[in-house]
Parts: sequence; C-alpha cells; structure tokens
Amino acid sequence: MTSIGTGYDLSASTYSPDGRIFQVEYAGKAVENSGTAIGLKVKDGVVLAVEKLVHSKLLVPDANRRIQTVDRHIGLATAGLLADGRNISNRARDEASSYRDIYRSPAPLKAIIDRLGLYVQAYTLYSSVRPFGISTILGGVDENGPSLYVVEPSGVFFGYNGAAIGKGRQLAKTELEKLKLNELSMREAVMEAARIIYLVHDDAKEKDFELEISWIGPESNYTHVHVPKDLFNEAEAQAKAALETFE
Amino acid sequence: MPGMVSMTQPIQQSFNPYTENGGTILAIAGADFTVIAGDTRQSEGYSIQTRYAPKVFRLTDKAVLAVNGFAADGNMFVKKVRQRLEWYRHAHAKDMPIRAIARLIQTMLYARRFFPYYVYNILGGIEEDGTGAVYSFDPVGSYEREACRAAGAAQSLVQPFLDNQIYFKNQTPAAGTAFPKHLPLSTVLPLVIDSFTSATERHIEVGDGLEIYVVLARNSTALAGLQSLRGVQEVTGTNDGERVFVIRRDLKKD
Amino acid sequence: MDHFPTNWGRPRHEGFDAYGTFPIHQRPTNGPKDAFKEGIERTQQPIVTGTSVLAIKYKDGIMMAADNLASYGSLARFKDISRLHAVGNNTIIGAGGDMSDFQYIQTILDDITTEEFTAQDGHSLGPAEIHEYLSQVMYARRTKMNPLWNALLVGGVKDGKKFLAYVDLLGTTYSASTLATGFGGHLAIPLLREAVEGREDTLTEEEALRIIENSMRVLFYRDARSLNKYQVAIVTEAGVKISESLKVETSWSFAEGIRGYGAQTQ
Repeated sequence: MTSIGTGYDLSASTYSPDGRIFQVEYAGKAVENSGTAIGLKVKDGVVLAVEKLVHSKLLVPDANRRIQTVDRHIGLATAGLLADGRNISNRARDEASSYRDIYRSPAPLKAIIDRLGLYVQAYTLYSSVRPFGISTILGGVDENGPSLYVVEPSGVFFGYNGAAIGKGRQLAKTELEKLKLNELSMREAVMEAARIIYLVHDDAKEKDFELEISWIGPESNYTHVHVPKDLFNEAEAQAKAALETFE
Repeated sequence: MPGMVSMTQPIQQSFNPYTENGGTILAIAGADFTVIAGDTRQSEGYSIQTRYAPKVFRLTDKAVLAVNGFAADGNMFVKKVRQRLEWYRHAHAKDMPIRAIARLIQTMLYARRFFPYYVYNILGGIEEDGTGAVYSFDPVGSYEREACRAAGAAQSLVQPFLDNQIYFKNQTPAAGTAFPKHLPLSTVLPLVIDSFTSATERHIEVGDGLEIYVVLARNSTALAGLQSLRGVQEVTGTNDGERVFVIRRDLKKD
Repeated sequence: MDHFPTNWGRPRHEGFDAYGTFPIHQRPTNGPKDAFKEGIERTQQPIVTGTSVLAIKYKDGIMMAADNLASYGSLARFKDISRLHAVGNNTIIGAGGDMSDFQYIQTILDDITTEEFTAQDGHSLGPAEIHEYLSQVMYARRTKMNPLWNALLVGGVKDGKKFLAYVDLLGTTYSASTLATGFGGHLAIPLLREAVEGREDTLTEEEALRIIENSMRVLFYRDARSLNKYQVAIVTEAGVKISESLKVETSWSFAEGIRGYGAQTQ
C-alpha cells in the first residue's frame, strides 16, 4: 500500500503523480472481499449465480438478494457493498424504463451497459462522492441474442462469455475457462454455475452461504427469473456431490 | 337565425367533464336509529350501465354516506372522505363523530367550489348523544341536519311523499291527538321500500336493486324487529355499541 | 447579443419609447412572454377512433371482442389494428375511442407491469388492480380537463375470481357480467344480457364464442364505423389468448326482397 500517507488517496478527484486514482483502486478491494458472483453466457441464454455469504443465522432465508431484475429480459448480479448494488440496480431499471419510454421497445443490453458505465464513471470524478464499491455482472437476452457484461468501479466495462467477480474469482475463472460455454444447454449451465460457486466457497474461513441462481433463456420465456425450485435443488445437490469427489 | 349552428365555421366541441348517472337516495332519522337507502341502478341517458353499483357506503359504525349524481365524482368523493376518516382514526384512536364528518364533508365540497363534485350527499347515522341524524348537502357544501331527505333523479317524487308521511304535512291530527315526533323502524322501513317501488314505477332511472342501511344507536329498541327481517345482514365493524345492518331488496328491472 | 438585425439601434422595448417617436415595424419581441395570455388549450377531440368493444363472463373466465378498424372520421383508415391488449398474464383490456390515447395507455400499463416484474417479490398486478389504476388515471386526466378519449373494458381472472369492469374518459366506472362500449352499449348489450345473465358460470367457451360472434355480426350490420374483421380475447386461469383476426359471416340475400326504395318497378 504505497499510496497510504502520500495524500493522493484521499479523494477520487485527485490523481497520484503516476496517474492512478487510489480511491477507485480501494473500491476494487471492497469487491475482492465480497462473496463470489459469476455469469455464464451460453448458446440460448445467460445464467447468473452468486455465493451470498450469510453473516447471521438470524437472517431470513432468501433475504437481501444480490441478483436483481432490471427489465423483463435483463438481470444483474453484484459483488461488493450490498447497498451499492441496490443503487446500481435501481439506476439500471430507470435506464431500461427510460429506453422503453423513448423507443417503445425493450432495451438492448449494450444501451443499458453504456449508460451504467457512464453512471459509475461519474462517481470517480468528484471529491464529494465515493466510487461504487461493487462490480456488476449484467446479463440478458435481446434481439442480438444473449450477452454478458461486467462493470467495474472505474466505470469501465467489458463483454464476456463467462465472468467472475468477488473473492473466489480466480478459481471461478479457471473453472469457467474449462467449459465449452457455447455448447452448454441452459440446464447444464445452471449445474455448472452451482458447482463453481460451491467449489470456490472456502468453508474453512467463511460462514454459511446461500446459493442464488437466475437465468434468462427459452425455458424462462426469455425473462429474467430465479431458477425454479426443483431445478435449484437438483443443481445444489449435484454441486455438493461434485465437491465430495473433488476432495 | 338564432340557435342555429353556423355551417361556415367549424364548431368548437368542448369537453364536458360531467355526466349524470341517475338513481335516487334517501335517509330517514328515528329517535335511536337512522335508515339510509339507495337504488343500485347506474345509467347514462337511456342506457342502463349496470344493475348493481352501490351508492350507499358505510363510513364508520356511526355514519353511512349516500352519494348521488355523477358517479365518478361520487366514488372519488367517498374515497377521499374515507381517507380523511382513516387519518382521523390514526391521530385520535377513535371514529370521527357524525357531526364532525358532516362539517368535514362541507369543507371538502366547498374546497371544490369552482370545479364542484357534481354529487348530492346524504349522511346518516347516530350522534354522540345517541339520536338518529340525517345531514343533507348540495354539491358545493351547503348542509343542514334534518329528519328526512330524498335526493337524486326521483327526489321530486319521493320528497313530497316523505313530507306527508314523516312530517305529516297537509295532515291534521284527529281531535285530541298529536302526531308522533319520531316514527318507529317498523313504520319507517315500509315507507322506504314503498318510496323506491313507487319511484321505480314512475322514473326510468330508478330500479334494479335496493340497498337499505340501518344504523342503530346503543341499546336501540329497534334491534328485535330488525333481526327477524328477511335477508338482513350485519356489517358492524367495532364493539362501540352502534350497529349497522344492510337489507337488500329487488326492484323492477324494466 | 441580440440576433435580430431589425432590433439593432432601436429602443430595446416599447417601454423606452412609449409615444412612438419613430416608426417601429413588426419585429420579434424578445421580452418576457405571458404564457397564459391566450389561455391553455388542451381540450381535444378524438382523431383516429375505434368503435365498440364487447365482453362477457363465461364458465372459464372472460371473453372480449373488438373489430380491427381504426377510423378517421367516416374514413375507414386502418383496417388491421388490434384494439385488444394483454396486460400481464391475467388481464385483457379493450379500447374504443382515440387510438393514440389507447397506445399511450398501453405504454403506461406496460411500464407499471414491468416495474412490478422487476421487484420479483411474488406479486403481480391482476385485473382489479389494473382497472383501479386505469380509473384513477382517467379520472385525474378528466379533472385536468385533458382527458384520455377512450372507453375501456378491463377483464381477467386471478386467484379463481373473474373480473370485468368499464372505465371511460370521465372516470366513470362500473361492473357487470356483460359490458360493451360505444354502439355496442345500444345494439349488443340487450343481446348479451339475454344470453349471458344468470349463466355466467355455466356457459361454455363455444357458447360464449357464438354469442360474441352474433353480436359482432349485428354491430357490423348496423354500425357504420365497424368492420367485418375482429379479434376475440379469452382470459382464463391458464392465461390470456388473443385470437387471429376472424371474419364476420354475413348474408345479404334478404336485400333482394326489399321493395319500395330502389328503381324496381313493382
């Protein structure tokens, strides 16, 4: 942490002499400490999955969801500060609805991610605000087929075939790379997503976690919804079984 | 020629925000009860829109409101009155007394003095002293407490009948007797039903169904006679003592 | 900088030269304008219009029908317009009156259903909620003297309950087991009431369809702003289905027998 004590890390509106914005990099740390979130773009659609760390047994199951719906055909998963995730999804919903109002058609993902990128980037410009402590995986199916994007705290965004953010991202990426994503069916992708989340969860250090999986594809009538209960249970059981053989 | 529409200029067709949906309402106060009734036909012009659209609404266990005129305004007005009564309940942990509701209705109607709710209101219920009360309003909030009132399409048919039967207008008591000050429920209910069957006979906008609300004061003597009635249904909401009942009757549908 | 050359070298305002000491010809005024000087005109009239919508309750739910015509005055302008619109999985709305206002209504309804969907809280808007919302919008607009010029039917089934109600440009609402807007209110309602009242829970889909078909035929015979091409929507517990365009079967052979109006000699 060479930045500490230099005075260049106190504001997002100040560069360090070598051209870095430390506040944005610190925001990245908030993402790294969060439960893993992954996204898979397959032939027919997109699957999102999240390792939601449960910090208290008193919490109501299924509360504080980290996968949210932006529009009928778009969903997002966040890693980082939960409240920032809520803010970003609200913004994304507003953008999607504004696009609908203006063009009278569902928004292409490219349009939403463009605007979301601009929004996140604006929070890296001023001393009066704090950059977003989250990375966001945005997935959906539009007229151009399925697509998957990740927005980082700097406001930069890239398109992916498979994406992973949060604590277990390295291992998750390695696992995603092994998959032939464009050959997977939606159901297979759900199984893989569950398996990867269970694999990357380090139960030596972590508390309990809840698995969250959503999808957008032909089986969900191209709407973004959490996967049906029976499929979810099946995926979770297979993931647990795979973990045993892995160890 | 006066009254002729000019053909050289286009006619400015302006929007009329009002219509008239027919029907009739009426209320009669007894010593320890009040009856509030209305037919359930809703019409526009010669068309019957529906045979069942209530015009009489229970506000509290002490107050029932009948609205007649422009139905959209009426429904909205009832909605707003109910909202104010709910706020009152939240603030004071009790139901608003009927005389306060009456004044509230005046204020709400007069607030729209220059774009009125095109609605004739009759509020019936029980006062805090336990007596039956009827308040009647004009569309802009002028109101008074009365013993009985009819309003709406058949007002001109029903009110003279009520004047005669309730106030004993144009009648002279037999020598050595006096007219009763208040009539019992067993006399009032047939008067109400007769008023509506008669209005249904002679007015095209009245008919289909009749909804009669009866509000009883605490320990009202009218209770016994009421409960033996055909198809009576209790709709009381609290344990304050006042009780509210509805009686439904068919009216001719032609 | 004043960009109007005619203003250059002149007093900036009539107020500086109240007595007209030199001629000022017509030129744009740049001063503050009174936006209310001419009053606000927003009272409108319907332009492209649809005619009747019919709806009935039957055993499995709601059946609604409207023809495919959008008229421009007496001109049959658009003959392939759908005046039925599904809102979510439990509700159908049908519109008579101004078609652009109806399209606006479709957008706002799609907006609120999408908003409800994104909440993902297990709730969805049913026909009763849609109708209540619509009537509040319609009443609010009439109160602003800027109405949405429509008569709408809202029907649907949710949680085992059938719902059918009307709302129009004045905010007037009502509910019944048979409803119709426009000319349908005069021509079709008596037929529908005769066929449906008291049989709401026993009429089969085929019977309901025949009743609707017959009323659409009567309307096509007598309503000059109607078309012999129409759609039927069905809402049941299973969801909303809007049919392809159907044709009204008509017969004109009776015209042969009419005497006394044409050129025939006897």
